[in-house]
Parts: sequence; C-alpha cells; structure tokens
Amino acid sequence: MASPAPTSITEVPVVDEPGTVNAPRSRKLSPVATYYLRRLGLYLITLWGSLSASFFFFRLMPGDPIGGIIAQLESKGQYSSIARSEELVLFYRREFGLDGSMLEQYIRYFERVVLHFDFGPSVLSYPTPATDLIVRALPWTLGLIGVSTILSWVIGVLLGTLVGWTRKSKISEWVTNVCLVLSHIPSFFVALFLIIWVSYKWGLLPANGAYDNRLSPGWDFEFILSVIRFGTLPVLASVLVGFAGWLIGTRALVVSILGEDFLTYANAKGLTPKRILLSYVLRNAWLPQIASLGIILGSVVNGNVLVERLFRYPGVGNLLVDSVGIKDVNTAQAVVTMFIVLVLTANLIIDLLLPLFDPRVKAAN
Amino acid sequence: MRAFVSLWQDSGKFKLGFIITAILVAVALLKQPLLALHLGDINPLREASFPIFLDPSREHPLGTDRFGRDVLGLVFVGLPTSLQVAFMAGGLSTVIGAVVGFVAGYKGGKVDTTLRTITDAFLVIPTLPLIIILAAYSRNLTSFQLALVLAAFSWPFAARTIRSQVLSLRERPYIELAKMTNMSDSQIIVQEVFPNMAPYVAIGFATASVGAAFSLVGLTVLGLAPSNQMDLGTLISLAWGWGVISLGKEWIFAAPVTLLILLFLGLALVQQGMEEFFNPRLRGQS
Repeated sequence: MASPAPTSITEVPVVDEPGTVNAPRSRKLSPVATYYLRRLGLYLITLWGSLSASFFFFRLMPGDPIGGIIAQLESKGQYSSIARSEELVLFYRREFGLDGSMLEQYIRYFERVVLHFDFGPSVLSYPTPATDLIVRALPWTLGLIGVSTILSWVIGVLLGTLVGWTRKSKISEWVTNVCLVLSHIPSFFVALFLIIWVSYKWGLLPANGAYDNRLSPGWDFEFILSVIRFGTLPVLASVLVGFAGWLIGTRALVVSILGEDFLTYANAKGLTPKRILLSYVLRNAWLPQIASLGIILGSVVNGNVLVERLFRYPGVGNLLVDSVGIKDVNTAQAVVTMFIVLVLTANLIIDLLLPLFDPRVKAAN
Repeated sequence: MRAFVSLWQDSGKFKLGFIITAILVAVALLKQPLLALHLGDINPLREASFPIFLDPSREHPLGTDRFGRDVLGLVFVGLPTSLQVAFMAGGLSTVIGAVVGFVAGYKGGKVDTTLRTITDAFLVIPTLPLIIILAAYSRNLTSFQLALVLAAFSWPFAARTIRSQVLSLRERPYIELAKMTNMSDSQIIVQEVFPNMAPYVAIGFATASVGAAFSLVGLTVLGLAPSNQMDLGTLISLAWGWGVISLGKEWIFAAPVTLLILLFLGLALVQQGMEEFFNPRLRGQS
C-alpha cells in the first residue's frame, strides 16, 4: 500500500551497474541473455533463502507444535481416550515431519515441498492435506488480487499521466490531493466503510463470502454473475486505495519528464498534444510502472489478507487467519510458502518480460 | 535545527504532516488529564460503568460499548498504546536499518550485494502473514516485544534509504581524507558519515514507522494484539466481533479509524516532505 514510487528496487541490473556486468563472459553472451541468466539466478537464490528462512521461522517458533496439534485434534473429539500417549506423539511427529534432527527435517522439507508441494496433513480439517485446502482457496485469492491489481494499475497509470500532463489545472490539483490521502488509507478501512454503507445501510451489494450459498459452483451464467456481485466490494476496497497510489507515482514520473528536451522537440516538430501525450509521455510513464508492479505485490497480498477476512472471502488469506487461530502449523506454513513463491515468481515474470517492452534494457551494456 | 526551520518553511507537506502527528502525540501524552477531565476517577477499562451501547450524547460523545465502557475513554487509552508501539517499532527498525544500511553502503562489494539482496527480498515478500503467525503463537508479548516483532520486518524500509545515501557520501573528498589519515572504519562512520546522515536517518525512521504502523494495525484489527492490550486496532476488532454493524452501532468504529488514518497520513506526509526537501531530484515534482 506504500505508493508505488518510481524508485525501483529490483532495478534492471544492467542499468544499475553499467560496465560491471560479468565483464569477461558478456562478450560471448548477448546482454539480454546475461540479464536473463542473472535474473534467474537471483530468483533461485532468493527463493531458496526465503524458503529456508520460512522453514526455520516455523521450527523455532515458541511452543510445541505437536502439543498444539494433539490438543486441537482432541478438542475436535478425535482420539480423546488415548490422550497423549508416547506412541501418539511419535505418530504425529512422523506424520507432520517433525522427527529427526533439524538438518534431516530441513532436507526432507525441501524434498517434500519442492518435489511434491506436500506440506503434510492440515489440522483445520484433518486429515485433508494442507495443500488441498490451499488449492481450493487459491483461485479466489488469485482472482481478487489479479482483478484489483490490474484495475488499479490501468486506472492509476492512465489518470496519473493525465493529471501530470495537466498539472496546473485546479481539477488535477484536487484529484492529486484526494489521491494522496486515499493512498495512505489501509484497504481494510475502505472495506469496513463499504461493508457498513454500501452493503449494510444501502443494501446494494453483498459483503459476505464469494458467492450465493444457494447456488452450486459451476460454469453457469447465474453462478458467474453471483461471483461478480460478491466480488465487487472486495475488489473495490483494494482498487480505491491501489489506484490512488499508482496515480501519485505516475504523476511524479510524468512531471519529472515534462521539461525534457525530447518533448520540446516533439512539440517543435508540430506533433499534436494528443500524439505527444500518448506516444511520448504515457510511454515513459507506464514502462517504469510495470517494474514497480512486482515490488508492491507483496503489500497487495498483505492488504488482501485483511480484506478477505472482513468479507469472509474463502481465499488463502482467510485460510491463513483460520489456521493460525487453531495453531495449524502445516497449513500456515503452506500459505506462507505459497505467498512467497507467488510473489517472487510474479516478480521474475515481470522482470523477464521487461526487455520485451523496454528497449533500454536490451540496448544497455 | 536550522534544517528543520527551512524544511518547515519550504515544505507544506512536512508542515501539515508534522502538525497532524504532533497533535496525535500531544493527545496521547495528555492521556491522564484528558481521562480525568472526561471520566473523573472512573477507570476507563472497568466494565459496567455505564449502560451498554448508549448512543453518542453530551456525556458520552462517542457512546458506550458492549461492556458499558465509555468509548471516548477507550480511545484515550488506546491512542497512546498504538502510537507507542508504532514509534517504538519505527525506532528499532531504524537502528537495525541504519546498521545494515551503513555497513552495506560503506563496505560495498560482496557485503553490499548480499545485504541488498536480503533487504530487497524482505521488501518484496509479503511479511504480514509472518507477523500474524508470530503474534498468534506468542500471545503473552509485552508491547516492547511486539514492537521488536514489527521491527524485524520493517527495518528494510530504513535500510534502503540510508544505504543509498551512504553510497553517495562515501565518494566525498573528506571521507577519502579520513581514510588516508588511517582512521578506522567505525571512527569514520561515527565521526564523518553519521553527522551528514541525520536527515536520512529521520526519513528512514518515518518510513519504517509507517510500515510498522500498517502491520500493527493489520495485526490488531485481526484481534491478535497481546492479550489485555487496549489499542485502537483492538477496539476496531472488538467492535467488529460484537457485530456492531448489524446492531446499528457502527459509530464505535468512527474515532479509532479516523485517528489511525490521521496517523498514517501524518507520518507519510512528514516522510514525503523530508524526502523531497533533502533529495533535490524529487523537488518540484509534486
């Protein structure tokens, strides 16, 4: 939710450190290939690092996970008579992958997660695998994040360019100030507001779940319509905050290039303002904002956890809070791992696609 | 001090943000007198002091809650807690971020690459889920420990700002001179680099505080604050749990939500104002 500032942190390395990019090897490889290799290597290192960190994060957590798991299963009425026998503890240690030394667990964790994407059984609905719970919840979250991120980006970048272009007018000043405030409001406050007014007071749209419970999920018209109706408010909550951030960031980019020589030249050449705006200004605004897209994805995911919670949306964020509530380590770990892989991979894809859009990445070096 | 005066005169954003933040801090510091003025010697957290769910009136400007506590009284108790945790986390993040940023920027090379990769990873990865899990598994946190948890995930904001500044300072002639005269790295950092870094440390502090406050509010709105802690996010979470929306008592949300939005806005304006002032490249852009 931090406004997508033009300062990119995963800046294209070629631009970042000119001349130092693998000097001897880059003579054989084309600059783009070097860029791809470097980016892919960085991805693998970061992925390995974050997954290891998340493994130790969960293993070093205070409290005994097995104790918690057995207590949970007992409270659900299973195995109440043979409570806490040694055998039971051993069984669950094995079942949840908690036996053996830390190193053994670490290796097995990677084996299971990387090769099979297996996180062991969930406690939330034992013995359903945690992975299954995620697979069920993931489409809802991807839909929510995908739609709201794309909408925010498109609206924010287009309006931001326009507002930057006409920055002297009263309207754009006004829009900028409103968006400056909006961009610093957490999306779950907007969600709260929408639930109270739009859903409860005015009764315009539902704010509870992802679709009408009376319908059975399927690809029929009625169900899809219901999904859209139920998804509107959660998406709106994210978009109202998200687009404002993009608008502010884009406006700053546009204002910074307005005095540049190439615009003066384009003007002197007699190009129409519309042409200059679309092919000169907008192009310089949306390219850097593609790079920023990956950077703010993490905060989008953060905000989405709370939005899902407030709307009781059956996504991964809600699953996380549910699993944390009953100390379901496996499911929580699966959610965290999935978020990390998702965000890092999205960043990789964006950075790999960048040379296709941005000729500067190709030309550099 | 001189920098502050010209910053104050130069940046409308900084001025507005500083005033908002200062008012919030002032209200928080005046907690005791305000409570005494409003409730006399009634403990604001004591249940059944008043009838439950009273609508706002002159006596109870924000009404009462489900347990018959005065909502304004709860807000007076909650605001200082929220501010304290957010600023404490901001401060701790700045310390961690400053160390990482200084070492990375000053040492350069492999050290810098490694530290930067870690910083970037922290900035890109969604950290709220980790904070949620950590908070849920250790419910008996003190507010200092909570701040520490938040700081563990918001220091990269500060580290990034500080590193880039150290990088540019490193090349200045007077640093070269200090190196020639055999000053140790730590001496150079403390005596030569740090004095010139103060504004950037301040920017880092503001940025990290915003980040920490966001996580703090997210956490408490989910009801994951340390038990017995009354802060603004917890008040929102409690009200949500009571189903105040269907009871038509949604005004309970009004004060905590407004105050938290003001906090985010105030801090963000201070941060942006400073950044534009001290980083001439950004000047005049907005």
